[in-house]
Amino acid sequence: MFSTRRRFLQASAASTFASRLPWPLAAAAETTKEAAVLIVIELQGGNDGLNTLISTQDPEYRRLRPQLAIPADSTLTVNPECGLHPQLRGFAELLERGQLGIVTNVGYDQPNRSHFESMDIWHTCLRGDQRRGDGWLGRWLQESPTAPGSLAALHLGDQQLPLALRSHAHPVPSIRSQEQFRLQAPNAEKLQQELLSAAAPQPSSDDLLGFVRSSTSTALQTSQRIQEIGRRSTTGTSWPEGPLSLKLQTISGLIRAGLETSVYYVSLGGFDTHAQQPDAHARLLRQLGDGVAALMNDLQDAGQADRVLVMCFSEFGRRVAENASEGTDHGTAGPVFLIGNRVLPGLTGTLPDLQQLVDGDLQYNTDFREVYADLLQNWFRTDSDLILAGNWKPCGAIRS
Amino acid sequence: MTVINDQPPYAAEEAWLPYRPDVDGPWTTAEAAHLYRRAGFGAPLAVLREAAEKTPGQASQDLLTATEPESFRQLTAQLARAAVASGDPRSLAAWWMRRIISTPAQATERLVLFWHGHFATSAEKVTDVDLMLQQNELIRTHAMTEFEPFVQAMARDPAMLLWLDAATSRKAHPNENFARELMELFCLGEGRYTEADIREAARCFTGWEVRRRQFRFNRYQHDSDEKTVLGRTGLFDGQDIVRIVLEQSAAAEFLICKLVRYYFRDEIPDVAALCQPLIRQYRENSMRLQPVLQTMFSSRLFYSRWCQGFRVRSPVDLAVSLLRTFEGSANTVLLSQRTQEAGQGLFFPPGVQGWDEGRAWINTSTLLGRSNLISGLLTDSSTRFSGKAPAEYCREVLAEDPQQAIRELQTALFARSLPGATLESATQLLRQRSDQSLLEALQLLCSIPEFQLS
Repeated sequence: MFSTRRRFLQASAASTFASRLPWPLAAAAETTKEAAVLIVIELQGGNDGLNTLISTQDPEYRRLRPQLAIPADSTLTVNPECGLHPQLRGFAELLERGQLGIVTNVGYDQPNRSHFESMDIWHTCLRGDQRRGDGWLGRWLQESPTAPGSLAALHLGDQQLPLALRSHAHPVPSIRSQEQFRLQAPNAEKLQQELLSAAAPQPSSDDLLGFVRSSTSTALQTSQRIQEIGRRSTTGTSWPEGPLSLKLQTISGLIRAGLETSVYYVSLGGFDTHAQQPDAHARLLRQLGDGVAALMNDLQDAGQADRVLVMCFSEFGRRVAENASEGTDHGTAGPVFLIGNRVLPGLTGTLPDLQQLVDGDLQYNTDFREVYADLLQNWFRTDSDLILAGNWKPCGAIRS
Repeated sequence: MTVINDQPPYAAEEAWLPYRPDVDGPWTTAEAAHLYRRAGFGAPLAVLREAAEKTPGQASQDLLTATEPESFRQLTAQLARAAVASGDPRSLAAWWMRRIISTPAQATERLVLFWHGHFATSAEKVTDVDLMLQQNELIRTHAMTEFEPFVQAMARDPAMLLWLDAATSRKAHPNENFARELMELFCLGEGRYTEADIREAARCFTGWEVRRRQFRFNRYQHDSDEKTVLGRTGLFDGQDIVRIVLEQSAAAEFLICKLVRYYFRDEIPDVAALCQPLIRQYRENSMRLQPVLQTMFSSRLFYSRWCQGFRVRSPVDLAVSLLRTFEGSANTVLLSQRTQEAGQGLFFPPGVQGWDEGRAWINTSTLLGRSNLISGLLTDSSTRFSGKAPAEYCREVLAEDPQQAIRELQTALFARSLPGATLESATQLLRQRSDQSLLEALQLLCSIPEFQLS
């Protein structure tokens, strides 16, 4: 432990940028520009997969959704059987360039239809009756060799840190935006110093106070680091409006600046479309597609696209039959989208079979842990058994 | 971040017995401060000293039964009408913030905030300010009384019906949202019902609509056939379902455990076993909360070291306790925006599950937000401490005898001991007596890890 720290201290002393930072961050500033990066986009509320990747042939889809079915001729063709929602033009563009992979009908056994419980299952790979200390990405962070104090993962958002990112060893910071992430005080530098010393770990403190102390240190140090990077230039990419796009823009800036972070996590809320679904869903998908397309363009221009993979998932899909409020209720399986230069373009898996419903819900084909196994083994090049608490076969959507 | 919690110092049978000053521990201004911080939103030292003269039972009873005088109510109603007239939910949030800061019925208001998180309804979706106000007043009316009438009223509350899309649930296509949250979030907790229960219960609520901004039962859209919910079969409607759900033994346990985590400690191992005596009392009182709260706030467990300092302050709590300690007032439009930035917007809970409380308040982003919330409050020109500008107040009241002042702040505001280095820095800053140094002292004190806990 001590020898590792010393090695990093010596390494960082050579870098002028690093020497302005407190030591744990300075240590982390030595980065590689080739390390694999994963950006997770969580679609909160249960994305309606059937109206995202749309069957153009199945009469059952149209029969069960008299109000909500998207006309086949308005979809953006993926293959002769299906197309994307007309507002997913960004995704269609990515598909044309061979950068979009869609794992169809992803779910898990005995699906839970509570938002929180199902989200927790996706985040931890554990059921409610099992002890959930950390998330699957948190466990990966623990397994992977990272410099002490480095920013291994970053959550952009004002909500609680996603369970997926929780880990014992690495406190993962949450930030809302670069600008808001700054201490405001008449004499911010002095306050920062006072707080850093007040937040220094003390052997006598109990677990809760220890947690607040270490969170305070991480907050102050990360803030300093991000402000530093924020002063650098931006690119000519035209970004769409909206909070998701803003977050992706921040992420792109951090990747281009060479931050060592390997996992970025953002979410887009509003997919719980129980009523008046069409407009709301269209707006969300447009934000998603355009935002991700802009991100990939921006990274491509900077020569960074090869090392970035984006995954979009939701806690469940929606009931096949629409409800009376021009909406849909909580369902089960749905598509997972993977974006990057190494994904297998087009579909992995088959479209859901609408003749084989269980209580009006889809039966999944691919377990979500097979998608995670693909990411861990073929993207992060890690063994996935421990992290996923079981032996899962990669779903085959990423070219190894 | 799994935590092995410290076991509570008392077994269930002893934990809820009345706290005996001197036998179980001290009863001083510091313990009174704990009571006011938890059951309310803090209080100035004079109030705490007065409370310490009473018995713990009397102090908690006085706090629980305090009411708003007629003049206060009239002014509050007048301000509410102005907020509604503005049509802006942020004005309503400012109105509520003002009430939280200034109401003498502190325990009620604290509970209203709890129920707002429990029956979380957001103005993000329910944009009708008047309906949001009506729900807020409905919560206040029922806050300490029996639970079933409360839930029955909530099930017909227009803001709630719009929020959970129940207002458009039809016989042919029942919308499951309200039925699900009724069981999962409001009354029983996840895993205490089946998916079939949800589907059947949703049928019972069909035809419950909102027309002209009021609840209306539309019998043409109501599914009046037989349903089976939670093992019972009959021609049930929504009212029957609320009753059946609350007859489940899980209901009292679910609520009392949540309340004990809210008022005592965020993380409690085997909380249900610890709470059994309270759960029993709650059931015996037809799920009326006030007697249970009285037991809670005068119990041995409440005044134990296991309880004090083991709750994470919410952003509203953080700002309001500072203001109330100094008999302060502030621009509540700005203040409610700032608490929202730090993670707690009144009338804007993050989703149907409300706020997660506990460690969820604390992350890298919110910690800076919390410090910035304090700095915003201290530097805003309309903030007053006992009628004075904060710097002026600090100079006149705190800087006279900095050591004494910080000791008093420790008692009124902090559940944890101030670290020596901070104490010294703050004393130095107060001694310098410049506007900037005085405010820096307060911002420092209110940004350290110890202040995040209550």
